[in-house]
Amino acid sequence: MILNTILLYVDPGSGSYLIQVIIAAILGALFYIKNLWWQIKAFFTRSKKEEPPKNNTPDE
Amino acid sequence: MSSVSRHPASFKDPAGYVFEARGSVLRQVNKVYAGQYQLLMQSGLYTRLTTEKKLLLHSELSENITGDEEWYTTLLPEQLSFISYPYEWSFDELKDAALLTLSVLRTSIEYGMILKDATPFNIQFHKGRPVFIDTLSFDLYNPAEPWVAYRQFCETFLFPLYLEHYLKIDCIKLLSTYLTGIPVEVTAKMLPTKSKWSLGVRLHVMLQNNIKNNKTSSQSKAVFSKQKLLNVVSHLESIFQSLTAGYPAVTTWSNYYEETILGKEYLLHKEALVKKICSALSYRTIVDLGANDGYFTRLLAEKDKLVIAADIDSRCINTLYQYTKEHSLSNIIALIADLSNPAPAVGFNNTERSSFQARLKPDLVLALALVHHLVIGKNIPLALLAPYFASFAPQLIIEFVPKEDEKVKQLLSTRKDIFSDYHETAFEHYFLQHFTIQAKEIITGTSRILYCLVRK
Repeated sequence: MILNTILLYVDPGSGSYLIQVIIAAILGALFYIKNLWWQIKAFFTRSKKEEPPKNNTPDE
Repeated sequence: MSSVSRHPASFKDPAGYVFEARGSVLRQVNKVYAGQYQLLMQSGLYTRLTTEKKLLLHSELSENITGDEEWYTTLLPEQLSFISYPYEWSFDELKDAALLTLSVLRTSIEYGMILKDATPFNIQFHKGRPVFIDTLSFDLYNPAEPWVAYRQFCETFLFPLYLEHYLKIDCIKLLSTYLTGIPVEVTAKMLPTKSKWSLGVRLHVMLQNNIKNNKTSSQSKAVFSKQKLLNVVSHLESIFQSLTAGYPAVTTWSNYYEETILGKEYLLHKEALVKKICSALSYRTIVDLGANDGYFTRLLAEKDKLVIAADIDSRCINTLYQYTKEHSLSNIIALIADLSNPAPAVGFNNTERSSFQARLKPDLVLALALVHHLVIGKNIPLALLAPYFASFAPQLIIEFVPKEDEKVKQLLSTRKDIFSDYHETAFEHYFLQHFTIQAKEIITGTSRILYCLVRK
């Protein structure tokens, strides 16, 4: 099937795509840092029970 | 075709349109949307969403009812009892509509589709829960592109809720003016400084506003991915989960029945009278005006009835919505409405979204402990209220609260009594020009009178 751009009748708005690219990058970075923090914490507490949270979203 | 009338709000999307014919609301799918429609139906997405009660069910009619050359197929959706608009919703109603939209988006992505628009007008409250009604919103998903409806979603769902969350005042009603959403620059200016500590506000409001204002930024199509989009969706979901209405603990009306100086005896007798009166009436759709927290709404919401509960107090309506959710009540629609200024007809040609009054087509209207607020609180004379009720109420249960009543004394304590014709005789004089009295009862321990009126 061919993407039919005619049907995208909603104006995405100026900068709307760019903002999503930036937000996705920031969220990705925060997720990376959060994961790293959990790994460091787990290393020092030497606890195997603590796992990184499954939710990959930074807290609001 | 004289028997076909196109819905006045259905003109933006070339994929098809809603029309009325043969006493039903139908949806035409145009040829240009055939591929997307087939994918929706054949991929399993339609079955999944309708099974989860997130998308309105439809059956397909192979007949070209409109006679349109663009016709591909005709859909007969499950018919809705009442259409409401987001500016009549409470905080949790709009929040649940937002979460439903994100959930539909997330599921669509799994099936290779995406929502090409995201507005609360695509959602209706049906059988006690929000349901996605626009079957033509689904488009083919290209993972390399971000979400085309992101800005629209923010402006119509996120920003009104952010404003209400941080300012703690009714902001959702702004959507009747900002019909396509509250613009980011308006939201950014209205949000208080403390909100800027929030990551969500920083990203979705402030950053978006800065990028929009930066004229040099191009509409670059940097490479995106499915995981990136899902991260944005997850972030939006977590924001909505964290937002709370922030209604004040007590509003003017929120504890009306609990704190009423009239006592429990009054309420119980009134309840018995309403039940007795209703048992002699025939009706299906009820409008409870000035419903407060829905005490009488719940009383009348029997299995085959539909009750539309309207009140000026957003906290009361939110509480009632929460109650209907918790108790899985499928026949109550709770809406915020100021009867001295109900939702007007708005949008293109003033016909796109009809007025609250034009949408009311009840069999029975309940107006309990309401008239004194309209007459004394809002200066609407009884002489105008009688034809107002007659314009839409074939049957009316109405409580007249005379000047001797404590509540009316309270209302008059801070103002001059200019209401010389506010008494029982005048009430009957005006109302009997339009109605006949079916029943008239004095409520125990009060001077309040309960009337059951039938339109002439």
